[in-house]
Amino acid sequence: MSEEIFKLEKDNLEGFLLYLSQKYNLFLPRRVDDQLSFGQMKPGGKPSLDHYFNTDLPPKEVFFPQRETLLSYEGGEVKHSTYKAKPIALFGVRPCDTKGIILLDRVFAEGEYEDPYWKARRTNSLLLTLGCNAPLSTCFCHWFNLGPFNKEGTDIFLTDIGDAYLVEPCSKKGEECLRGTSLLGATGDDRKVAEEIRRKAESSLSERVEISSLKGRLLALWEEDLWEDISQKCLSCAACSYLCPTCHCFDIQEEGSQEKGERIRIWDSCMFKLFTQEAAGTNPRPTPKERLRQRIMHKFSYFLDNLGEFGCVGCGRCIRGCPVNLDIREVIKAVKSFIVESR
Amino acid sequence: MASINEQLREQARKLLADKVVDLIIGYRKGSLPLRSTPYLVKTEEEAGSLIFDLTSSNNLAKYLPRVKTENRGSKIGIVCKGCDGRSVVQLIIEGQVKREDIVIIGVPCEGVVDTRKVRKKTGGEEVLRVSLPVLPGSGGREIMVEGRGFKITLDKEEVLCDVCLGCQHPNPPLYDLFIGRPREGSSARDEFKALEEFERLSSDERWRYFEHEASRCIRCYACRDACPLCYCEQCFVDETHPQWFGKGPDSSDTLIFHIVRALHTAGRCVSCGACVRACPVGINLNPLWVRIEKEVKERFGYTAGLSLEVTPPLATYDENDKQEFIL
Ligand code: SF4
Ligand code: SF4
Ligand code: SF4
Ligand code: SF4
Ligand code: SF4
Repeated sequence: MSEEIFKLEKDNLEGFLLYLSQKYNLFLPRRVDDQLSFGQMKPGGKPSLDHYFNTDLPPKEVFFPQRETLLSYEGGEVKHSTYKAKPIALFGVRPCDTKGIILLDRVFAEGEYEDPYWKARRTNSLLLTLGCNAPLSTCFCHWFNLGPFNKEGTDIFLTDIGDAYLVEPCSKKGEECLRGTSLLGATGDDRKVAEEIRRKAESSLSERVEISSLKGRLLALWEEDLWEDISQKCLSCAACSYLCPTCHCFDIQEEGSQEKGERIRIWDSCMFKLFTQEAAGTNPRPTPKERLRQRIMHKFSYFLDNLGEFGCVGCGRCIRGCPVNLDIREVIKAVKSFIVESR
Repeated sequence: MASINEQLREQARKLLADKVVDLIIGYRKGSLPLRSTPYLVKTEEEAGSLIFDLTSSNNLAKYLPRVKTENRGSKIGIVCKGCDGRSVVQLIIEGQVKREDIVIIGVPCEGVVDTRKVRKKTGGEEVLRVSLPVLPGSGGREIMVEGRGFKITLDKEEVLCDVCLGCQHPNPPLYDLFIGRPREGSSARDEFKALEEFERLSSDERWRYFEHEASRCIRCYACRDACPLCYCEQCFVDETHPQWFGKGPDSSDTLIFHIVRALHTAGRCVSCGACVRACPVGINLNPLWVRIEKEVKERFGYTAGLSLEVTPPLATYDENDKQEFIL
């Protein structure tokens, strides 16, 4: 990788985004009714980067939309859908969410099963990750050895240094993209400023909890009352799953009539009772206890088994969005400190 | 005089010690500023963490049927502000819980904070510390919120939930014991004030409002799942045989969900606002719900959850009911 780091004056941001949008289908943080999510760049549109800590909805929806047509049919003719527009670029993704996309690559593109719909959008896409100068109190990416300036998985890493961004290519794709611009190199002073910002952000994070032993603990505690206590207040909604950058369950539905219609897939969640409802009337996860345990086990145990990493990136969205303040950090702490009473 | 929290804890300990109740549904301090969290208290020690304040925003009546099923034969205490209490009454009327199985611990409610209004006031900056006025009746109105590089004082009226601003029933209509003194009624407030602006809109504008809100819905069902009166064993949205409508996030489908839910709660909704507060994307369909309650009040003289004696309008039929809408 080149050692070169560039500098993008904020005054030139518009031009830079325009350049990107010529080559890419560009998505950036957009505020609608006080809610931030990744939206498509409209001509003359600007990203909402003021008071931008992280988007309320995760960027996964760009590659894995909540509703996606798999195929459509009319009068006996079947058409398979694939994404055909320009390659996608995400500008301003936070490092935790970049990691979330990398984890979903493992699920949808690199594992045993390949998902053509995810791949069609993700192939040739470009991630421009923006470091976090001001982590929220609910951010806990550092528990997972990530952090507000983690560059893993990104193509171009940006650091906000006041009037400008430091722009660092982190992949071949990123380098190529920047080659087409006339950005100047960053000075040593710029790098020092960025370094100071990074140091400050990292030291502002809350205390780190050691989670390397979590999986073993979870397996040992599967049957314990702990899950009853933890899940008592859970409403079994899907706020946590739908806000999560790595939750990826889906359902397949048929819409339309015999003559004309679509097969679609939509987000689904293991927190719903319906998720495991069986036609015979039985349900292996009948209460919030089994469902919440499933979500936690998936993130901190099964994900490790299947893909070698935790399935949580510490973005904190589920903490901010849970209607009953069921805080996943407290669940982790409870699991760690639970004492098994001998039977 | 002991603070409301101290009194609440003492009474809770006593109820548990005297075996008047086996467990108590209440609130404790949450993990975030401006958030309390529902808490199921089983021991006297746990009772020491109970709180009630402007952040006690969940409607605890939601948990009654479930806690009852999971703890058969138990007597359940429940901390109730006005709207939780009304939900409990409604649940008793609808046969979901039995009066004799529950002990209602009334608390005088001064409203609950709408964290989205606070977020607007801080310009989107995160709140890291708060100090709340002491409840109850201290006359305290100031809420101090602090974050990175700011410290502002808000008048509580600026950041209370819309439903609280029009609340007529700050005390539960039914209780076995009361913490502190019941609050004077708030008849000075206009019950349907939040609706005024909305009612001035043309029907096209109102439709656009609903459609816009529904178009942002991600169908997480947190609103339904937080509502104390959405207790159906199988919600119509989860039915697959037949499946009544599409499952995706298109507003044509999400609108059906919201409109049918509104009809299912008509004449039952206690205007607690728990559904609006639960929404992770800030959708506010409260005007629809409040408008229906207004209609029910005007037509049938009924307000949900106030009395065990009155039969709810949807559970009865009167030949003299107005039916001018039938063509
Ligand atoms: S943890 Fe919170 S957001 Fe998740 S299902 Fe339970 S109540 Fe809903
Ligand atoms: S589980 Fe919660 S904190 Fe972890 S990645 Fe998902 S939303 Fe973020
Ligand atoms: S969790 Fe870490 S990477 Fe994500 S927004 Fe917060 S500080 Fe940034
Ligand atoms: S519909 Fe909303 S306001 Fe009405 S009772 Fe249910 S949660 Fe409360
Ligand atoms: S809580 Fe909000 S997003 Fe979720 S289903 Fe209800 S209105 Fe839709």
